[in-house]
Amino acid sequence: MTAAVLPLPAVDDAPRAVPLYRLLGAELRWVLRRPRTLVMLGLFALVPVLISVGVALAEAGPGEGLIGAVAGNGLMLPVVAITLSLALLLPLAVAMAAADAIAGEAAHGTLRGLLLAPVGRLRLVGMKAFGVLVVATLAVLALAVMGVLSGLIVVGRAEGQLVTLSGTAVGPGDALGRISLVVLWTIGQLAAVGAVALAVSALTEHPSVVIASVLGGLIVFGVLSAIPALGWLEPYLLTTGWTAGVDVVRDPMPAAGLVESSLRALCYVTVGTGLTVYRMLRRDA
Amino acid sequence: MTTMPSVDAAPAPAGAAPVAGFAARAIGLRKVFGHTVAVDGIDLDVPAGAVLGMLGPNGSGKTTLIRMLLGLTRPTAGAAELLGQPVPDGTDRALPHVGALVEGPGFHPFLSGRENLRRAATMEPLLGRREIPDAVDVALERVGLSAAADRRFRGYSLGMKQRLGLAAVLLLPRRLVVLDEPTNGLDPAGTRDVRRIIAELHAAGTTVIVSSHLLAEVEATCTHVVVLQAGSLVAAGELHTLLAAGTTGLVITTPDVDLALRALRGAGATAYRAERTSSEEQAVVVADDGPPAPELIALLVGEGVAVHEARRSRTNLEELFARLTEDPS
Amino acid sequence: MATARSNKIGRTAAAGMVVAGAVGLGLLAIPAGAGAQPALPPVDPEELVRSVLAADDQPLAGAVELENGLGLPALPGIPQAADGTSTARIWTDGDHRGRVQLPTESGERTLVSDGETFWAWNSEDRTVRRMPEGRHERDPANADPGAAAAAMLAALRPTSEITVEGTSQVAGRAAYDLVLAPASSERTLLREVRVAVDAEHRMPLRLTVLGSGSPDPAVEIGFTDLSFGPQDPELFRFTPPPGARIEDSQGHDEHPRDASATTVGDGWDTVFLTPAPGPGERPEAPPTSRSWAARSAGRGAAGG
Repeated sequence: MTAAVLPLPAVDDAPRAVPLYRLLGAELRWVLRRPRTLVMLGLFALVPVLISVGVALAEAGPGEGLIGAVAGNGLMLPVVAITLSLALLLPLAVAMAAADAIAGEAAHGTLRGLLLAPVGRLRLVGMKAFGVLVVATLAVLALAVMGVLSGLIVVGRAEGQLVTLSGTAVGPGDALGRISLVVLWTIGQLAAVGAVALAVSALTEHPSVVIASVLGGLIVFGVLSAIPALGWLEPYLLTTGWTAGVDVVRDPMPAAGLVESSLRALCYVTVGTGLTVYRMLRRDA
Repeated sequence: MTTMPSVDAAPAPAGAAPVAGFAARAIGLRKVFGHTVAVDGIDLDVPAGAVLGMLGPNGSGKTTLIRMLLGLTRPTAGAAELLGQPVPDGTDRALPHVGALVEGPGFHPFLSGRENLRRAATMEPLLGRREIPDAVDVALERVGLSAAADRRFRGYSLGMKQRLGLAAVLLLPRRLVVLDEPTNGLDPAGTRDVRRIIAELHAAGTTVIVSSHLLAEVEATCTHVVVLQAGSLVAAGELHTLLAAGTTGLVITTPDVDLALRALRGAGATAYRAERTSSEEQAVVVADDGPPAPELIALLVGEGVAVHEARRSRTNLEELFARLTEDPS
Repeated sequence: MATARSNKIGRTAAAGMVVAGAVGLGLLAIPAGAGAQPALPPVDPEELVRSVLAADDQPLAGAVELENGLGLPALPGIPQAADGTSTARIWTDGDHRGRVQLPTESGERTLVSDGETFWAWNSEDRTVRRMPEGRHERDPANADPGAAAAAMLAALRPTSEITVEGTSQVAGRAAYDLVLAPASSERTLLREVRVAVDAEHRMPLRLTVLGSGSPDPAVEIGFTDLSFGPQDPELFRFTPPPGARIEDSQGHDEHPRDASATTVGDGWDTVFLTPAPGPGERPEAPPTSRSWAARSAGRGAAGG
């Protein structure tokens, strides 16, 4: 044996982990380089445009439901686009991001690489949650920004004001404030979806299981809330509060629904994060 | 450097203080998946600076053992140490110094080789942010992937994927490198590159654990060998000791086997007919406990036996491996 | 060794988060103020009823919830008639000016009484109906459980046994539970009517109609949120927003439904009759909560 032998590592002194900002930066780059994220964001940017064109073409008569409230009232469009997308499209986008985040990495064999780097297991959860939140935020912002633009350009404005559902008119500053509020609220709701999806993602190696779980969960929640005998379940269902988004275009704005649904979302985030951490601290990779 | 506990060494008590001088240790490591015992109580010390070849048929527990050493899989029983740190508690201290290619290269299909490597480098605690681009370029160069670095990983051949996996291991100087079947999918040139890289790592003082089914690779590059069979170590030690232990005596090739046997046994030597099916030649084998070789040869020549060849029998790794794994005792 | 200590702590903390989140959900699901029984000085039932009928209107802001368990079919334009929960937000200055907003999932109706003009906005077709003030039953200032319950109290008082059964908490306020049970001479499907009366302002806060044979209320209307005090006068003005269609209305003849509505019987045996709106007709304004309550009680009494 003539091999040169290194003195055994002074491993205690060496850095053990990269700074968090580097992890988050890497995750951000990874999320934004993923083709499906970009396609998804493009689709979300398209939703308000499509609604605005539809409203402009059908301007003749009063529309149905929320869409009807957009006619000639462009600043209503972002709120309506976000509310409509929250039913299915936004949770789907978040589920896809969460599916890629852990289950997808496991399927590609890259989760192993992250753990061996090493990225601590707790930091890994933080980094992945950040990535999912970024996707959720960008999706909602795409809807909001394109909603404001196509609302003002295609639909037109009600003398520069927003006509609320309650029949009052508020100025553009107030309107943008309300749009920002619904953006924040929606991100909160999507964080709840994302946290649960991430927990599923931590449990499986198949990304499609995550997407199927979230869609299945939404459908089950919808069915449960439609059964009168199960009315007592409603306060537990995340989707129960999802009608509160349009509260931002009521005047005076009722805070109760927004607050309660946000608190409920917070509970879901806590449960989902707890499950994810519990699983990831032990997960084999 | 010469300690290499045998298979039946008494397992150290769980939680024993880390022992300096070993790059990796397994202490009574055991892993059970359902009803299948994948690794059955393995004790193993990998001396720092060694190149350990890990041999064993498919399903013998090589990968599971490696995964437990790296903290990727939790052992059912026993403990592991990595660079003197307990696994998994101290893995955050040890793993920055460890490079590993386990169960094939894992990369993102939609990123190029270079981007994938940059992402891997970003996660390395010992690489400063400014050092990353250079480290990536050097690693790509070392595995011969510079030309294909900007193609998407999706379009890589199996060999290129394997090379990229090696590049990730080579991003920075390591104290321990673990390569699980590194030559999978590589052409002969690639296999030579892996051998060269292992030699370079060894020369730099890096401990290398390499599992392989290509025995010639192991024999050419390893200082130590362990052989796994059905989750247990059936042999462990320095390569030359193991090979020497396989020496069974003096092999004398002759057409006059019966005459030779009579003469040798008359002289008090333990001799028997060599069982050689692969060769047309007949031979006798003489154990080392009798008279020394020159006397035996002189005796045979004197008796009129035609001695075509006389040599020390030296097992090669392939024979050793076959003997250990095909007929486990 | 197989379970590292830090790992174990982390997993315990994670499990704790799961439990905390689940408990939080459970807390959110508990109705506010449920179970609390504030201590109040005892009060004579007759005296309580008198004080309710004599109480002054208070300026207030609140949210009202109607739980309908009557089992009526959904009437066109009156989603509140069907089983389920509907809500309203109300404001009043205590002086006949008021505002009611009836939100639905996709829109809202706003009724404003500014003292001279009554405005009715419907976001579905963005129409504002405008009519002169003066018809008391259209006064949204009275469209609250207080008014509904007061009217019901007055109607049922002569034929009921009236008791006070303890206290309860409604929308964060201490209230007496006034119970009206039909006198034994009455023919009715109703078991009792319970009215929670605000201890301070003697205003009914919640009205619960219980039918015989079911523990669940046939109808319950009550405040879920309530604050007394002066309100922003802006709330009692209405300016038609840009793009709204304005219709002027004189009232009576455009409301055949209300005009032809009659009641049959009296006391606990009242039946409220109204022709069903035709398929093309949509009532321009929903009934105020007073008429919901009265009608509901009548239906329950008659046909239940």
